Amino acid sequence: MGLANAVIADARSPRTRSGEGAAARKRNRRLKDTAVSLGMAGPAVLLYSALMVVPVGVAIYLSFTDWDGFSDAAFIGIQNYTHLFTDPNTTHSMWVTVLIVIFGSAFQIGFGLMYALALRQKSRTNSVFRALTYYPHVISALILGFLWNAILGTKGALNTLLAPFGIGPVGFLFEQNLALISLIAVIVWAGFGFNVVLFVAALQTVPLELIEAAEIDGASRWQINRNIVIPMIAPVVTVALILSLIGLLRAYDIVVSLTGGGPAGSTSTYAYVILAQSFGSTKIGYANAQAVFLMIVSAALALLVTALRNRSDKAAEGEG
Amino acid sequence: MTAETAVRMPRRRRRERVNVGRVIMLALLVPLMGGPAYILLVNAFKTQQDIQSQPFGIPFDRLTLQPLIDAITSPEYNVVASYGFTAAIVVVVDVICIALAGPAAYVIARSTSRKTRLLMLYFLAGTFIPGAAMVIPAIYVLRTLGLVNSFAGLVLYDSATTLPVSIFLMVGYIATVPRDIDQAASIDGAGRLRTFWTIIFPLLRPAVVTVLILNSIGLWNDFVSPQILLGPSSDQYTVTTAIYTGISQYTTDLTKVFPNLLLAVAPVIVFFLYMQRHIISGLTVGATKG
Repeated sequence: MGLANAVIADARSPRTRSGEGAAARKRNRRLKDTAVSLGMAGPAVLLYSALMVVPVGVAIYLSFTDWDGFSDAAFIGIQNYTHLFTDPNTTHSMWVTVLIVIFGSAFQIGFGLMYALALRQKSRTNSVFRALTYYPHVISALILGFLWNAILGTKGALNTLLAPFGIGPVGFLFEQNLALISLIAVIVWAGFGFNVVLFVAALQTVPLELIEAAEIDGASRWQINRNIVIPMIAPVVTVALILSLIGLLRAYDIVVSLTGGGPAGSTSTYAYVILAQSFGSTKIGYANAQAVFLMIVSAALALLVTALRNRSDKAAEGEG
Repeated sequence: MTAETAVRMPRRRRRERVNVGRVIMLALLVPLMGGPAYILLVNAFKTQQDIQSQPFGIPFDRLTLQPLIDAITSPEYNVVASYGFTAAIVVVVDVICIALAGPAAYVIARSTSRKTRLLMLYFLAGTFIPGAAMVIPAIYVLRTLGLVNSFAGLVLYDSATTLPVSIFLMVGYIATVPRDIDQAASIDGAGRLRTFWTIIFPLLRPAVVTVLILNSIGLWNDFVSPQILLGPSSDQYTVTTAIYTGISQYTTDLTKVFPNLLLAVAPVIVFFLYMQRHIISGLTVGATKG
């Protein structure tokens, strides 16, 4: 940046002449520059403001009202927000979401790391296996959910497989606790491959000399991974972890297609409650309060990413 | 460079020891990851009876193309018919996104004033907002603009949501392009907009490819915004909303479920196989830098 500015200053200086005409011309030019910049950035700013920023404002406004979509809205203060924590439907969905976020991201990161360590070297076989872990990431979660619904159903493929052993039919999607476990398992299945690819890319930047030095010193593979390799890719793991957390906080598509929130609401996530229940109802003020709360939690987690990322960037700069 | 040496140098000692744990881990991947894909593929060509009695088997003498033909020619919630509409959304949004994000990113990347730099933060704030929370209030804005339940409304909303990450990735890339190039163009008399599109933009190819891949996959797979912003009354279906509406009608008829799901994933899988390298690098860059 500094260097670039100096280049600009150098380029301009020969043209700077004393005298009012030159100053006026310079001011004109700067004004024109500002106008051009405005014209170039303007459309993006306008579209983004109209459809991303204004809606947030609308949501915040509506969240303090009792609007039902038809009659006049009245301000009811923070009543919608206190209702969030007393409405059993919503609080239950918060717990479901917290479980999905915690276990889903733990296993996505854990399996991601395990398989990245196993597949880190460049070879044809490894890249085939990587693609095998990764492919669900490019498919819509909605479609993956429908596919697993067909596999895990009472007459589905998995139960057909278990039947000869005298097991089942197991209600993978029809018993409350089991359905939540199935949902988390499918989420992990669909998501850990992305971390594999992310971590493999990071692992390939770990200098081999370091690993070889440790090998010569007689360190075991586990010790090397534990004490050298994993600490070196820690910044990427942090980023992946928080991406997982934020992603799972919004789990909706896969719930719609895998379980439909059931049985008896046992897999209704927070986002599912907002979109499948509140959205269609007349409690629009309440639906918006739910949405605003999701934005706040999401933003808090995202700020955490940025803070951690900045810290690790600074640490990296310090090393370089 | 360290990456190159880390990979290329042969490691004899490692190769000699067969790592049993690794072999087991990789062997597990085959049924766990390959299984569902296999089930999806083979059952799209079987009868209901065969799907239920032997979901893993391939009864060669009874395989049939009929379910697939039925799905392709189905008058209702036809997935293949929705390809065009979904592709139209992807293409239009990609074009709008690049057309708007490019010049904005250029202004931000080249600005020395603090105010313009704040614009980046303004856009970045948008990445914090989950679509599931955003789409509900967005409907009221679109309704005011008269764009609810329309292609235009959906495309504008989708474009707005793609701007933050796209601008962010492009700003990062433009910063690596030397300013001398701009200077040379401006001395030759090119305006700023023209400098961007004719001189800078062609240099941004890697960043633009990343942005296009990220956006295209995201848009093709998107379910929330078409579901909420188009609604059933619009009578227009993307791949995901067509599948959703279709399957909720015929859940128990597996000869409809499997062929339709196969048709829904086919374009993405083909795209993935052809562009795997670009997709993987695009998505990892998008995730770690976005």
